[in-house]
Amino acid sequence: MSDTPHTPTAVAPEPPRRAREAHAHLPPVVRLEGICKSFGKVRANHDITLDIRPGCIKALLGENGAGKSTLMSILAGKLRQDSGSILVDGAPTLFASPRDALRAGIGMVYQHFMLVDSMTVAENVLLGQSPDMVLRPARMRDEVAALAERYGLVVDPAARVGGLSMGERQRVEILKLLYRDSRVLILDEPTAVLTPRETDQLFEAMWRMADQGKALVFISHKLQEVLTVADEIAILRRGEVVDQFSEADVPNQTVLANRMVGRDVVLQVDAKRLTPVDTVLSVEHLFGPGLDDVSLTVRRGEIVAIAGVAGNGQKELVEAICGLTRPASGEVRILGRPWREFFAGPPGRRGLAYIPEDRQGLATCRQLDLVDNFLLTTRNLFAKGMFLDRTEATNAVKRVVWEYNVQPGDIAASARALSGGNLQKLVIGREFFRKPEVIVAENPTQGLDISATEEVWGRLLEARSSAGVLLVTGDLNEALELADRIAVMYRGRFMDVFDKDDTAKVEAIGLMMAGVRPGEPETEA
Amino acid sequence: MFLPRVVKRQEPLQWGSFFIFAAALVVSLGVSCALLAVHGKPPLKALAVLWSGGFGGPFALEDTLLKSIPIFLCSLGVAVSFRMQVWNIGAEGQFALGAVGATWAVLTFPVLPLWAMMPVMFLCAAVAGGLWAAVPAVLRLRFGMNEIISTLMFNYIGILFLQFLVYGVWKDPTSFGFPMTSIFPKAAIIGPISPATLGRVHWGLAVCAGVAVLLAVFLKRTRLGFELLAGGENPRAARYARMPYNLLVLLVMSLCGALAGFAGCIETSATVNRLQPSIMVGYGYTAIVVAWLSRLRITSIALFAFLLAGLRVGVEHLQLDLQVPAAFGGILEGMILLSVLAGQFFDRYRFTLKGRS
Repeated sequence: MSDTPHTPTAVAPEPPRRAREAHAHLPPVVRLEGICKSFGKVRANHDITLDIRPGCIKALLGENGAGKSTLMSILAGKLRQDSGSILVDGAPTLFASPRDALRAGIGMVYQHFMLVDSMTVAENVLLGQSPDMVLRPARMRDEVAALAERYGLVVDPAARVGGLSMGERQRVEILKLLYRDSRVLILDEPTAVLTPRETDQLFEAMWRMADQGKALVFISHKLQEVLTVADEIAILRRGEVVDQFSEADVPNQTVLANRMVGRDVVLQVDAKRLTPVDTVLSVEHLFGPGLDDVSLTVRRGEIVAIAGVAGNGQKELVEAICGLTRPASGEVRILGRPWREFFAGPPGRRGLAYIPEDRQGLATCRQLDLVDNFLLTTRNLFAKGMFLDRTEATNAVKRVVWEYNVQPGDIAASARALSGGNLQKLVIGREFFRKPEVIVAENPTQGLDISATEEVWGRLLEARSSAGVLLVTGDLNEALELADRIAVMYRGRFMDVFDKDDTAKVEAIGLMMAGVRPGEPETEA
Repeated sequence: MFLPRVVKRQEPLQWGSFFIFAAALVVSLGVSCALLAVHGKPPLKALAVLWSGGFGGPFALEDTLLKSIPIFLCSLGVAVSFRMQVWNIGAEGQFALGAVGATWAVLTFPVLPLWAMMPVMFLCAAVAGGLWAAVPAVLRLRFGMNEIISTLMFNYIGILFLQFLVYGVWKDPTSFGFPMTSIFPKAAIIGPISPATLGRVHWGLAVCAGVAVLLAVFLKRTRLGFELLAGGENPRAARYARMPYNLLVLLVMSLCGALAGFAGCIETSATVNRLQPSIMVGYGYTAIVVAWLSRLRITSIALFAFLLAGLRVGVEHLQLDLQVPAAFGGILEGMILLSVLAGQFFDRYRFTLKGRS
């Protein structure tokens, strides 16, 4: 653990729960029964059954895209399940909106806070809740202060929210729910925005709330935090609950990690190895926000996968490599040329292609038609002096749409008419049209169905013959199927970079993703 | 609960949006009529005067067409910058600087022949207007200053600068103390196209047509134009596609300044034949209304420029015939903008009385 500056376990070895058993005899507040939810062909939740009990902290553990947030959005009334039922106090209930869920005592703290910056803490907590026509600031402050005191959520009721830290804002969000007498509090990745100290304070408050009979749901992909704070753990994988542990039988980290990232072979491809040739991308000692001394090379003829739980610096690394943010320190060379020089002009032929995860918001413009979207990164190829050869571009788009089977293939339609998978095919077709020699693909198959995934994988493997590919993925199966080498990223640095054939290390990927180096003594839960 | 619920439209409106626009127009005219009635003016007669003054008859149409020229040019510039999501509301000041630039050219080279005078005038107007607009652009890019504030402030400075010149160094010694330059030489006056058939309609109209075609070609056919469109549509995608964002902001601002400058030049040269403060009648602000109403499309800009110019002319007649205050023009313009913008809500949403299922 020498490389991890802080682990919550070190600070709070024994959860200071005073009344862990006090509510154990009570029936569940909420029971989810056979919840199913699909988005198009993608199954986000499948037949999920879960009990949420008073006085108990339930952790939902799973990788990004496992379906945690979907499930909780259903519970909080933001989404409607396709089938299955929600029982509140044993009675089936339908939530048409978050308001209905709040009324039933279920509230959620989202990752993005919904607070009014220019108002005070007390005003935010009582917003829309104040019983009188006339506001009484002093009484509001007293009420909020009492509530904060009771649950150990330290925050000054008179302070303006705009001046608060993220941790304090989060407490305000929790206070809002507590003020409404919510019985179930759902915290969606609450520690993502917190400092280690604030994380500890949050955990203490969570214990206190549980001691006083609140039911808490803690959504996370961080193993150690889950082990520290939770009473019960449910592991989600590909939209299904694969395991549930109660406090008595919570296993150690290794077991949890393996259950969480467990390799489901949904799709296999025959990836024949090529002999890597020249280095096309090199990153040396890159530092910056979210990045801590990252070094990496990618050669023509190979796919290097960066595996890891989202939010461990992958986005920052990709943005630096793809020219979106200037590297703070360290060196990035693309095709032998320094960063500054390479990104001086618009994208051209035989350069770098970036296939971002956010295809709707970053890679395309929703309102523009397919030709305009195609021209985004290929405009230099169709430039004749200061003019654009639109006839030639239109022909090229027609060819790409046909070749990559983009449906519907109406090139005059705006990009919003395409589904996620088809938009991704268009983006890949566009990027590959430039015959790139460096390809950065970020979760390229997220949200795609099996056949589209297979197609995208095939394209990436094919591209190796002329390019080096950096694949950033939260899907371990994808990394193992496609990559020649795998780097595991955790807290802004690589835990290790190894060949796919190194079976011992491949076995340990789950642990590395949780920040544990194989061979090191493991902290017991 | 019988309260209607707002539902997002799945299919965009086709012809419906035209009816919504017509309804919005009726609503704004109706409210304006009500205001007139409160004021003790006969509303129906006022409407008739408004129509006949702005659009009824060749003389009215001529007047309207003349006024729509500067509005159209300013509005083109405003629309281009709005497309880039640069909220430049400084067309009024850029218009003033364009007039100043053109006048400077005339006063400095008074003996140039027509073929040289016209290009020099327009060039100076474009440079003056463009530079005036470039300053807020640079302030925004370098120091993150909000362009809405800076361009608005620059309007006041620009207009006062124009007044400073005509009250001072540029004042015509023979003008009996009136704030105006001496009348321009013949070579510096944009003349009528065909006095016999088109009356006072001058070559500025041809400039409008030329500029509109060039701008359309620029936006649709050139690489830079494409970057403008895409950059305004989705700034993140523009960054992803490595478009020169700062350059684009500077470009749209300068372009708007240059076009407003053209308008100032034409207004000075063709309409009053000299520089005087009376050219500042708020075309630059009307241009903002036109740009919004036309949703930044060039052909619609022409249409709405003509419509609002007609209203301006009509209101002038209202002032004369019914002694309606001049401010009524501003009220009418504002009412139309507000009701049309409010009507655009129905393009994306609809009401339903059905309860939740």
